[in-house]
Amino acid sequence: MAALVEPVPQGGAARPNIASANIQLPGVESYEQVDREIAGTLRPTSGWFALLGIAIAMFLWGAGSWIYQIYWGLGNAGYQPPVMWGVYIISFVFWVGIGHAGTLISAILYLFRAGFRTTIYRCAEAMTVFAVMTAGLFPIIHIGRPWKFFWLVPYPNWRLIWPNFKSPLVWDVFAISTYLTVSATFLYVGLIPDIAVLRDRETNPFRKRLLAVLSLGWRNSEPEWRHFARMYLFLAAFSTPLVLSVHSVVSFDFAMAITPGWHTTIFPPYFVAGAIFSGIGMVFTIIIPIRKFFRLQHIVTINHLDAAAKLALFTSLVVGCAYLIEFWVAWYSANEFEQSYFWNRVFGQWWWAAWIMLSCNMIFPLSLFSQRLRRNPAWLFILSILINIGMWFERFVIIVPSLSHEFEPWQWTSYIPSWVDVSILAGSFGWFFMWFLLFIKNLPVIAIAEVKEIIPPPLRSHQVPRDVDVAGHHLDFSPETPGERD
Amino acid sequence: MSQLPTQPVVKRREFLKVLGSAGAAATAVGCSQERVEQLIPYITSPDHTVPGVSTNYSTICRECSAACGVVAEVRDGRAIKLEGNPAHPVNRGALCARGQAALQGLYNPDRYRGPMVREGSQLVPATWEVALQRVRQQIAAVRVAGTGRGVRFVSQHESGSFGGFVDQWMAAAGFGEHLAFDPEADLAVRAVNQAEYGSASPALDFAAAQLIVSIGADFLDGWGSSVSQQLSFAAARARLAVAPRFVYVGARRSLTGLNADEWIACRPGSELSIANAMLAALIGGGGPTLAEAATAAGVSEAALQAIVDVLRTTRPSLVLAGVGTPDAHLVAQTVARINKAVGNVGPTVKPADGPVGLGATVGAQAMGALAAEMNAGSVPMLFVRGANPVYSLPRVLQFAEGMQRVGFKVSFSCYPDETAELCDVVLPDNHTLESWGDSEPVAGTLGLQQPVMDPLFNTRAAADVLLDLARGDAAMASRFSATSYRDFVMARYPGGREAFAQALAGGIGSGSTLTRAAPAPAMLRTTSAPLTGDGEFYLIVHPSPVLGAGAGANKPWLQELPDPVSKIAWQSWVEVHPSTAARLGIRPGDHVTITTPAGSVTAPAYLYLGIHPEAVAVALGQGHTAYGRYAQGIGINALDALGATVDGAGRLAWTQARATVSKAEGRSPLVTTEGSARQHGRGIARAVTAAQLAAGEARQDAHHEFIGDASHEFLPGLRAPVANDAQGDLGDPASGSKGMYAPDHWSGMASRRWAMTIDLARCTGCSACVTACYAENNIPTVGARWQGRSLRPFHNANSGWDTTPGANILKGREMAWLRIERYFEGGEDGAADFETRFLPMLCQHCGNAPCESVCPVFATYHAPDGLNVQVYNRCVGTRYCSNGCPYKVRYFNWHGYGEVERRQYAFPEPLNLQLNPDVTVRGKGVMEKCSFCVQRIRDAENLAAQEGREVAPDEFTTACAQACPSRAIVFGDAASEQWSVSRQVEDQRAYHVFEELNTFTAVVYLQKVNHPGGPR
Repeated sequence: MAALVEPVPQGGAARPNIASANIQLPGVESYEQVDREIAGTLRPTSGWFALLGIAIAMFLWGAGSWIYQIYWGLGNAGYQPPVMWGVYIISFVFWVGIGHAGTLISAILYLFRAGFRTTIYRCAEAMTVFAVMTAGLFPIIHIGRPWKFFWLVPYPNWRLIWPNFKSPLVWDVFAISTYLTVSATFLYVGLIPDIAVLRDRETNPFRKRLLAVLSLGWRNSEPEWRHFARMYLFLAAFSTPLVLSVHSVVSFDFAMAITPGWHTTIFPPYFVAGAIFSGIGMVFTIIIPIRKFFRLQHIVTINHLDAAAKLALFTSLVVGCAYLIEFWVAWYSANEFEQSYFWNRVFGQWWWAAWIMLSCNMIFPLSLFSQRLRRNPAWLFILSILINIGMWFERFVIIVPSLSHEFEPWQWTSYIPSWVDVSILAGSFGWFFMWFLLFIKNLPVIAIAEVKEIIPPPLRSHQVPRDVDVAGHHLDFSPETPGERD
Repeated sequence: MSQLPTQPVVKRREFLKVLGSAGAAATAVGCSQERVEQLIPYITSPDHTVPGVSTNYSTICRECSAACGVVAEVRDGRAIKLEGNPAHPVNRGALCARGQAALQGLYNPDRYRGPMVREGSQLVPATWEVALQRVRQQIAAVRVAGTGRGVRFVSQHESGSFGGFVDQWMAAAGFGEHLAFDPEADLAVRAVNQAEYGSASPALDFAAAQLIVSIGADFLDGWGSSVSQQLSFAAARARLAVAPRFVYVGARRSLTGLNADEWIACRPGSELSIANAMLAALIGGGGPTLAEAATAAGVSEAALQAIVDVLRTTRPSLVLAGVGTPDAHLVAQTVARINKAVGNVGPTVKPADGPVGLGATVGAQAMGALAAEMNAGSVPMLFVRGANPVYSLPRVLQFAEGMQRVGFKVSFSCYPDETAELCDVVLPDNHTLESWGDSEPVAGTLGLQQPVMDPLFNTRAAADVLLDLARGDAAMASRFSATSYRDFVMARYPGGREAFAQALAGGIGSGSTLTRAAPAPAMLRTTSAPLTGDGEFYLIVHPSPVLGAGAGANKPWLQELPDPVSKIAWQSWVEVHPSTAARLGIRPGDHVTITTPAGSVTAPAYLYLGIHPEAVAVALGQGHTAYGRYAQGIGINALDALGATVDGAGRLAWTQARATVSKAEGRSPLVTTEGSARQHGRGIARAVTAAQLAAGEARQDAHHEFIGDASHEFLPGLRAPVANDAQGDLGDPASGSKGMYAPDHWSGMASRRWAMTIDLARCTGCSACVTACYAENNIPTVGARWQGRSLRPFHNANSGWDTTPGANILKGREMAWLRIERYFEGGEDGAADFETRFLPMLCQHCGNAPCESVCPVFATYHAPDGLNVQVYNRCVGTRYCSNGCPYKVRYFNWHGYGEVERRQYAFPEPLNLQLNPDVTVRGKGVMEKCSFCVQRIRDAENLAAQEGREVAPDEFTTACAQACPSRAIVFGDAASEQWSVSRQVEDQRAYHVFEELNTFTAVVYLQKVNHPGGPR
């Protein structure tokens, strides 16, 4: 254990963890080093091929299971009426939730000038896009006649049939498609200067041409940077409400139905907090192996992880508070259906699922109050896996126990996922990691341009370093700041 | 002149076709396939056939011996629905589940398609000429051998001319006895009734009684004429506050017992001492005292004393006996004397009004004697029609072994049952719906049976075959003038052909065709007989209220219909009392072995409060080794554990043995539709006591105070304007354009509010409505062994397919739009007695429906006339509606139950011929639910519009209401004063389930009325 724990820097009163704009990267010395080290991660390795092969195999297995399910009917999933929603909707909410951390980190933290986002935001944002792509599949997998899914989309038609704008599922269509569009755009816009770097370093003419097109002819000129900064700021501002609205809309899928355990006004903030929490969990799951295997510990520093862990701790506390309020509301409402449901959830039939949720999301993250553990990547990785499991079970606990223990006792039931459910869930991880693995070997997983912004600029005699950042804000940057150890 | 190319050349069109289909195949796996079907209109239409318009034929139901009148709805030459004949004196329009399911006998996919003859070890198809030739040869051979007197004819017992006809035929041929076998008939009671009242089956008037006591007589389960008894019992219950109290005495609480106000849980075999003590207490004389009887039976003396007190003071009452012990005849005799002593004969027991055409019926004793004769080799030839003795007799009688020693066996069975499989020639009979016949259900009234459609297969009526054989036989030809059985029946009809033809349309004639007095059921033994064996428990075997003694097992509707008591389908189970189970360490579903001196059976345990702790019970009906795909290999046959003991009239004693009960290896989850059997105080099925009702307290008592409670403006009546619909602002009073939702719209739709009341005081839980709904609405059955999930890895080493019977029901995926919830009240704390409330639950057609607003595609929406409509074609299957529904009455097509190419297809040929053409067969992936029989509503509206009039009040009703033998369901337009339903909803017992949810349901329940003991 001791070897895993990176020592807290000595220095008496000096607080080592600075979750502010003052994030420093003493291990990075020059722009050339940034280009070299980050572009260097793009070289495929045999380990990467192996992981990609596993991801594609999982995806194909899941896709095959889905075709099987379409042919023989949804009965091959584990549904047990009235538990009409199961693993697919759970996974839908899970993946949408994961897709929240990226935009939170890249947009909201950008607006808040939280410096620790710089090195992890690209990874989180790519994760967002792929998670939303994954999430978007699940409603289609879930419905009885997936070949008719486009009926949920309001398209002009001869018979003037429109979707029901009162239905939260239609809101979902808008919310998810908007979110996917905006977050993909945001990811791409942020990538433009980095793609230009890759273009300049590329020797393969075909790839060079492709990268030239993708970089939109970026020439690193000042007007380009000015436009870029404005665009980026605008998109950040545009994405910020989406972070809050998308998962609020997803929570309406539940809150708008009168089912006990669902019909509650606390759901939108509760879901948003949960989504951010799960997203940060997934960011840890991804970034910790990346910084290790790409040898980027000096770029994604312990300080970054520490700061992100505080965010995880905060959202965990919000989520835990929501859990407790739910129980309180059930008690205070004097509604026998709610009370019976919550009792059954925690002490009855579903105690095991509820306690997985409570311990993974509310109890284990309390460990992050300890600075030593916050700065221990191994523990953060283990905890992130627990958070992922816990957040999957949170959605399980919301969906399955509610439906299995509703108003009508005669229809109380149970639920066990079938092999098809599990295969498609595994397939979704395969699909997600397939895209993610392809991403990290084709585009820089760390934002080259933004890292360059926080390292000392090259001292060139004819140019005085500017003390404003790309967005025009003043930096309190001082090269004399004591360095950080990796 | 150009010549067509001989070489195959890809033409443009074909190329495009291939391209298109390859593309479609790549993208459209699992998409609905539009199959091209030819619709060829009649050039010359058959008489009385208008395509798409139904013709109704009156005929008789032969599913049990009650011979109810039915009306078959025939569309384009196929019977699609059976309903009770309203003019028939027995069932007065109602029809039970077994009667409804006769259609699935008619269209059973396992029916013999034509004659079969034995070649070596198996039956192979043959022509009628070949098959009949073999029979003629054998008859001739028997004649030559001079062993004709040994020939036997075993038939299913049915009332009417057929029994006499067979007697006549056998006599003409010089053959021996004709045995009309009915495993279910309570011969002891019939014999005693004949002796005591002068009528084997007197009519029972429950409605006239002030107290009903049943000692084991399950008059709602199939004992006697269930439908007519249920009509009468429900009429009695409809007297509400002054309805008779009903006490059930027995070791097992059957469906009838669950309807009782009080259950006296006596030890099996102690019924006789209870009856004797009651008689002694009433009229004095010998016999045990009530205290002695109470001790012997393990019941409280006060309970018996209370019954005797009421019997003594309140007249008339009705006491019934129908036990299954070897002493059944003695119990019946004592009970008949009680009825006489307290003056019930006449007021409630009406010997003059009973059915007269029941004729001679034999039970296990006579069949056992036949088996002995067969085993002795003295039966050269055996004819079997309708009955299935190999299955329905205990194995110890060795009927199957006897069959091997009969020279030549002829079966007239429609189905490959256990007996037919052992025969040498099968001459498949027409189904009853394809046959002529008659019955005499009530003295002076004749029920007429006519074919409602041409025979489906290459079958011939058994009677016609017998006539054909007679004509070809010199000795017999002169004895039969009729060329067909139809002529035979007509000739016997009073008034002849013309009168018959005239009466045929109504299905009812007057007069009698009895050529000889029905033989009095014989009392064979008048002594008492003890229960055999020395185990710790008593084994109670009883016929299933759904499958009967086994004849119903090949009909998927009946297999799918949960047993009204245990709510288990597609399975056998052993009922064990929870205290016994706790003692033996048995959990629900654990396999339990019951061993008696005659044998043993093993089945999963069902923990049931309504069984005596010293008894275990198993229902008959399952455990078939043949009888088609739906029956075979499901459950166990309880007769395997029974010996040959019979009661005094020769019927098998179903409770004859003590048994040892032990936990066996293994465990099978119970295929039940029950979630929780308790209401958890949620006020779903409500009840008032008669005293509260009389005091006008029903309404106050019914209403629970919930926080956030709904206003009562809409309750209990349904005068609400069409409530908020899902389509936007039509519910907004400020909205200018409401289209069809405006009450003054020319269609008038919005001025109607289709609604239903269900009277829980009448409902007995018999579940006839459920089967009627299956029949009317093309609901798929999902429990057959091949309908489960297609693959379950790691489940079964031999086969990837999940072949557990009822696999879908184990997953809660039954499709019954209408289900009967059976809630128990009380009895948790070890008290023997408990209350049962049955609640038919169906789509409540909420005025403010939680399902409608959440559907993203308007597949469910609110019609202007108050219906909650489900549009299958629009449904994409998000199943959100079901999550919103508090009543959980929406059902999803998890598999392709309606798709021919899928293994889960629910209507294999020719069951699909029964499908109602007015109702869509749903494909996989769509939601469905009760539609209030919207096809009937629109049909009535269209008919009225064609005739230029309004729909008349109570002009039509839904399938469930039509079938209900309790008349508990009333359907109609609650917005019109004219309809009965609008009066029913004003009843003081009216309530809505979960009214606090503001759903404004269109289904109104009327509270059950309980009659606790004590002074009125």
